[in-house]
Amino acid sequence: MSEYAIIAQLAINSILFGSMYGIAAIGLSLIFGTMRIVFLAQGTVIIFFAYIAYWLLTLAGIDPYLSLFIVVPFAALLGIGFYYSIFKEAAALEDRNVSLLIAVGLMFLMENMMMVFWKPDPRAVVTPYTSWVFSPFGTSIQFTRLIALVLAVLATLVVWLFLKRTRIGTAVRAASEDMVSTTLMGINPNMVNAVAFALGIGMAGAAGIGVATVYSFDPMFGFAFSLKALIALALGGIGNVWGALLGGIILGFIESFATYYVGSGWTDAISFGVFLLVLSFMPQGLFGSKVSKA
Amino acid sequence: MANQLLEVKGIAVSYGDIRALWDVSLTVEEGAIVALLGANGAGKTTLLKTVSGLIRAQKGEILLEGRSTGHLSPQQIVDRGIVHAPEGRRLFSTLTVMENLRLGAYIRRARPLFGQSLDRVFTLFPVLKDRREQKAGSLSGGEQQMLAIGRALMSQPKLLMLDEPSLGLSPILVRRIFELIKTLNDQKMTILLVEQNVNQALKVAQQAYVLKTGRIVMSGPAADLLANEEVRHAYIGEHGGHT
Repeated sequence: MSEYAIIAQLAINSILFGSMYGIAAIGLSLIFGTMRIVFLAQGTVIIFFAYIAYWLLTLAGIDPYLSLFIVVPFAALLGIGFYYSIFKEAAALEDRNVSLLIAVGLMFLMENMMMVFWKPDPRAVVTPYTSWVFSPFGTSIQFTRLIALVLAVLATLVVWLFLKRTRIGTAVRAASEDMVSTTLMGINPNMVNAVAFALGIGMAGAAGIGVATVYSFDPMFGFAFSLKALIALALGGIGNVWGALLGGIILGFIESFATYYVGSGWTDAISFGVFLLVLSFMPQGLFGSKVSKA
Repeated sequence: MANQLLEVKGIAVSYGDIRALWDVSLTVEEGAIVALLGANGAGKTTLLKTVSGLIRAQKGEILLEGRSTGHLSPQQIVDRGIVHAPEGRRLFSTLTVMENLRLGAYIRRARPLFGQSLDRVFTLFPVLKDRREQKAGSLSGGEQQMLAIGRALMSQPKLLMLDEPSLGLSPILVRRIFELIKTLNDQKMTILLVEQNVNQALKVAQQAYVLKTGRIVMSGPAADLLANEEVRHAYIGEHGGHT
């Protein structure tokens, strides 16, 4: 393989891997926007939906891409359920740590429940198209990874349109900027938070299908995924859905190239090194327009 | 005698152990401008926040058109007709002027009147019409204050509460803002005005209250307070260097 072909292949891998981090990061960004917490359970929730897709396939014979139409609406409803059942009271408190701890608690609860239901050994969703590969210009592109990218872009587009074009979406953007001022408009903060959760967990549903079709996964895989999403979010900047998606893709580039040129043992260290550098020197992210100063 | 639009009766408010308001009573007649004066930390903003439902009073009651609002959420209070344009404007700076105005008309009662409300705001503040697709954060200080007032008007309020609308503006713009307050009042808008610019506030208001460390220490017709040496001494002198 020529050097150019290798670089082309690495770039393709970066975009395909990175888009999954990107949609996870969008979920974090949406929930952070109104709740002001890093929803550390996001990765675990994604893995939970990957298991749901696995179950729908193995128990009910429903194709993972078809199950999108079940999983995403269910995920959005679950997001609303999460908010009203466990976050609502804490959301009213000035101290954000309580909400953050609830997210951590939810993560551990779900991890352990998944251990009980699905055991710690890795699972994979295998379909006839799992092994399909395209080979344009001497590179190779796995069909499921390509669909995952398309899924990520479509999900981002839907969320972006919702935030831009709908009344409630505009209220969510307003609340991400100033919840008190939003309240003074006669907008219920619980409604806005619940919508942010519906969008964020809905994104986790889409991401879960993407992950299920591409990776083999186990219950503990989620936390690492949350951390990757956090890096993507820092790169992309909070409050910008396209920035978060792009942040994920940039993380994909960092990982692919670091693995190939430096060594796979260094990949995570380099990713987190970049994470710290960006947060220290460009806290608004690479694409964020502004961060309000305290 | 005109109708009492807002009656605050003996309210007490604390933040944890710290008492911010003690037995505060105040009345706003329909169609009036009532000025609420006092130094920084006197409790003016706390009083507005209590009326708009952001904070709950531990004692006393608040009546709008004779009906208690004490148990209502901020949403229900906006719906009942009290709108609070907060100190520092607190616009949604990454949203456009139009989006800010749309959110001002978010409550169900205001939605069918959106076109009419928008006409009123654009007539009062033609500059906002020219800037309607611009981000609120890109407006000048004066334009931002106009948008803050315009956004509040979009909810079709009965009572407009303005917290320091002249804060941070140049003397020319301060005068314009007070002219606008007068114009709004001429159009029958009832206004509760919190100001540090005592002189100007007393000139537009009919009634005034002075808060000092959480208590009403003086009240009466604005003209009387304007003539009162004590008020001028205590508050106008202090205000001099205010920017």
